[in-house]
Amino acid sequence: MKLPVPKEESFTSAAHSERVTARIGLALAVTFTTCFVTGLISHLIQHPPGWFFWPSSPVWLYRVTQGAHVISGIASIPLLLAKLWSVYPKLFGRPLVRSLPHALERLSILVLSASAFFELLTGLFNVAQNYPWNFYFPEVHYAVAWIAIGSVLVHIAVKLPVVRRALSKVDTEPELARDGLSRRGFLRTTWLTTGVAVVATAGATVPFLRGVSTLSWRSGKGPQRVPVNRSAAGAAVIPAALSPDWRLEVVSAKGTKRFSLAELTALPQTTAELPIACVEGWSQSATWTGVSFPDLLKAAGSEPGRDASITSLEKNGIYATSVLPGEHTKDARTLLALRLNGEVLDLDHGYPCRVIAPNRPGVLQTKWVSGVRV
Amino acid sequence: MKIARTLLVLPGLAALAWGLVLFAQFAFPLGPQGFVALGWLAGGTLVHDAVVAPLAGVAGFALSRILPRPWRAPVLAGAVLSAVLGLIAFPLLWRAHGAPPLPGLHDGDTLGGLLISLGVVWLGVVLAGLVRTLRRRP
Repeated sequence: MKLPVPKEESFTSAAHSERVTARIGLALAVTFTTCFVTGLISHLIQHPPGWFFWPSSPVWLYRVTQGAHVISGIASIPLLLAKLWSVYPKLFGRPLVRSLPHALERLSILVLSASAFFELLTGLFNVAQNYPWNFYFPEVHYAVAWIAIGSVLVHIAVKLPVVRRALSKVDTEPELARDGLSRRGFLRTTWLTTGVAVVATAGATVPFLRGVSTLSWRSGKGPQRVPVNRSAAGAAVIPAALSPDWRLEVVSAKGTKRFSLAELTALPQTTAELPIACVEGWSQSATWTGVSFPDLLKAAGSEPGRDASITSLEKNGIYATSVLPGEHTKDARTLLALRLNGEVLDLDHGYPCRVIAPNRPGVLQTKWVSGVRV
Repeated sequence: MKIARTLLVLPGLAALAWGLVLFAQFAFPLGPQGFVALGWLAGGTLVHDAVVAPLAGVAGFALSRILPRPWRAPVLAGAVLSAVLGLIAFPLLWRAHGAPPLPGLHDGDTLGGLLISLGVVWLGVVLAGLVRTLRRRP
């Protein structure tokens, strides 16, 4: 049996009107740009080049940018599917290639479609911490993001006259009575689906949506009402963290100073309300108490405002160490936290002590800290 | 228009080229990781164009002819919503390659949540269909 291949003209639904394509395309341009810019911010914070500066205030900024990254990615999924359905008949346009510019245009759309699907699918799996691949997700997601945003820009430039024509048409064209969805019906269904997808997931980071986000990838559970990404058992740190021989070692130009947990508790304590905001888009605000970095560095004979590299008891894993920039070590809200929500820090939250700094990604808030080098 | 297009094309091509450089640095010489990444790059668009879109088209075509007129738009919208909610829930439900559920994360009841969402969607479909049917009556 020969598979029936439709012709471009066989698609008569109102969904294929260029006015539909242009409107959904505009929405996608907004979500893709938001996703790219916020993703770039997260990348730069984690791999800061020399010129890059990220402030410690406002404390909620990273929570908002990374939340926006994941929410705009989720919103892009129904938008991309609707946009591709709108232009699907063009896939069957013949001749396949009319000229060199036409061939380049088709190739660029293939690159756009491939990179857009790649970003949305790998991102969706990553927020669920599900990895049906063998490569390192952040590296490839970052590289393909540049391909995607580049092909989006080129695509908009190529289609600009069509977009202008489609958006500036006065709406006098009567809607034909059709069997399926009308043009407006298709658009309304697209906006509705996008809204529902966002509401179903955004509770991972937007507090007032927690109760309605049925598909959020984090629950409200977790010790001390804060989610845990990596448990003490998973990090294989339990014996070292509970050992009475545990000491915090602070190395500075003035030499090495060791603090027991009792000595840390005896230092001046600071309490701050700070969100923990994960790169995977969930966030949760909590009350943290501990030694502020300015106090700790002074107690060790060093001075605040210098970069500090933090070491964890965790021996494996790429997030066992982190660098706190001077901007954060001089901020009194940057804590070596000993308590969380009024209780001694849970083992899974980094007992005996962890870093919690304002406006930083969760992966850099090192847990089970054993050393600080200034 | 010409200026606007130039202002879009030049940074676009630069970003595209930079992305290709980054991807090539990762993928070449082609090893198992680069191979899998290329598979994911090609896979999404291929599966969509060859499988998902035709199936959606045939389903939409059939539904919009079989169903009574007042029910067409609500049921089509409900079907689209169900498919997208199912897609978003999929990585949380199929976890053959998932990280273990550590305390506090991914310990939510995704299946229950999905069923509740679908229940709400189809309740909306039924209500919209009934309202449209009643409105048509003289």
